[in-house]
Amino acid sequence: MNDSRWKSWLPRTGCLLGLVVVFWWAPPFHIVELNGVQQAHPAFDAVAFVDKFWFGRLAQSLDRATDAVVLEKAIRTDSKAAREKYGRVAGLGGDYYFFVAGEGRVVSVNQHEIALSLDADSSSTDVILETGNIFGNAVRDGTRLLNVSDFADSQDFNAISSEINRRIEEQVLPNLRAKAVVGAIVHFAGCAEVADEGTDLHPLLVVPVSAVVR
Amino acid sequence: MMERLMETRRRILLRNSLARFQSLIALGAMLVAMTLLSNKFMTADNGRNILRQISVNLCLSVGMTLVVLTAGIDLSVGAILALSGAVAAGVLKNGIVLRHFHVMLQFTVFGAVLAGILTGLALGCFNGVTITRFGLPPFVATLGMFSIARGLTMLWTGGFPITDLGASFDYIGTGILFAIPMPVWISAAVVVMFVGVMGETKFGRYVYAVGGNELAAMLSGVPINRIKLWVYMWAGGLSGVAGLIITARLDSAQPNAGLGYELDSIAAVVIGGTSLSGGRGSIIGTVLGCVIIGVLNNGLFLLNVSPFWQQVVKGFVILIAVAIDRRNARET
Repeated sequence: MNDSRWKSWLPRTGCLLGLVVVFWWAPPFHIVELNGVQQAHPAFDAVAFVDKFWFGRLAQSLDRATDAVVLEKAIRTDSKAAREKYGRVAGLGGDYYFFVAGEGRVVSVNQHEIALSLDADSSSTDVILETGNIFGNAVRDGTRLLNVSDFADSQDFNAISSEINRRIEEQVLPNLRAKAVVGAIVHFAGCAEVADEGTDLHPLLVVPVSAVVR
Repeated sequence: MMERLMETRRRILLRNSLARFQSLIALGAMLVAMTLLSNKFMTADNGRNILRQISVNLCLSVGMTLVVLTAGIDLSVGAILALSGAVAAGVLKNGIVLRHFHVMLQFTVFGAVLAGILTGLALGCFNGVTITRFGLPPFVATLGMFSIARGLTMLWTGGFPITDLGASFDYIGTGILFAIPMPVWISAAVVVMFVGVMGETKFGRYVYAVGGNELAAMLSGVPINRIKLWVYMWAGGLSGVAGLIITARLDSAQPNAGLGYELDSIAAVVIGGTSLSGGRGSIIGTVLGCVIIGVLNNGLFLLNVSPFWQQVVKGFVILIAVAIDRRNARET
């Protein structure tokens, strides 16, 4: 009885000892103090980065955005040529972006979007400002101000996009939603993300980074 | 009368031989056809390329073979692959912070590999427990795990890839040893190990027994639940290995890695002659199935066939393989 119990425990004990030796020889991890790690590799602060970007480079570049009326005409004439001239392709997915600014009259409002007409005498919708939850990388990639190769870690680059979207939801959209009523004039700047060439660009779906309602 | 009997016997022998070597015959025919159709096909570089491409599916399919031999199915292998790869990449890149103790566990490459495989084993174990303890059909249990693992991967990665994992880790997917890519060595080791396990161990015989006739196996004293639990654990663990290979090869853990891989692995198993009703099949057959799918994908790519048509062709190949399997099952 004792002999058989010994025999059944022998391989298990051997395995356990083997594991101890393997882990001693090649430890799966090292325990390091958190303070030391943080000093050696300070974590990327997306909030601070976007704060600087938002009030610095982005604010200064708003007047460099393509005029919405010009872009709208170019798209109507030849959307492919408009893409070549005014669009920006980022990443491998084939998505492209427009950085656009202009003035439009509110023609309709709902919970997730505000429809604008660029022509004062028309009631057709030319631009839709997204006012719901903001997803995607439209602003990060559409402004042409940020480049993934400038960041050592792609997760840092992705964190920037999340922070920009959060900032738009908190700082741009509440005021826009509160003041934009049908007939009001909205001066806007923002980015449009176009998934593929087959996407209908009438109206153009824009994520606003700035919106002033008159 | 005697002559007719002999003729029938000859015909049965021929049919059985054809059934036994159907994968090999199909592979031979494909190799000849692709060689004739493309002069780039039969080259050493392309051969290495095919082997590298099939290595991930091979790891998944070996695990899937065990599962299918017990008359089960595992729809979660692709999702487990993604989570295992993401866990390995995450702990390697960012470590694990234990704020309460003001320390951080900084993982080595060995630790990250271990974490990835253990993740796969744990999820496979969960599959096994839901199937054996709670009596859920494998289809439903692993479909649930598919969703759980995909969701956990998104939570772990935040929906973004984890990149820049370092040259030592990447060697698993991109390294070359004696002119053979590392993924090929890893998948070959997996194959050799499981050919041995299935052919030489009690566990291997029990797997066949459970799939062949579960009731008879139970009455013979085979611990059915324990065998099934181990089978799903192995499938999960091997998905973890596949996850490590693909993550290292791409130098990044993609949140949506392994989408649709479960179908490729089931296809390889079925094409390799393993019966979906369990009890019949082999690891070597699955290797042939993987090579057939690899050659098919590679050949169609070299022939500039659209990827959409490639899917259609692959679908038909699976249907034909299952139809042949059904016919064989009826006749034996």
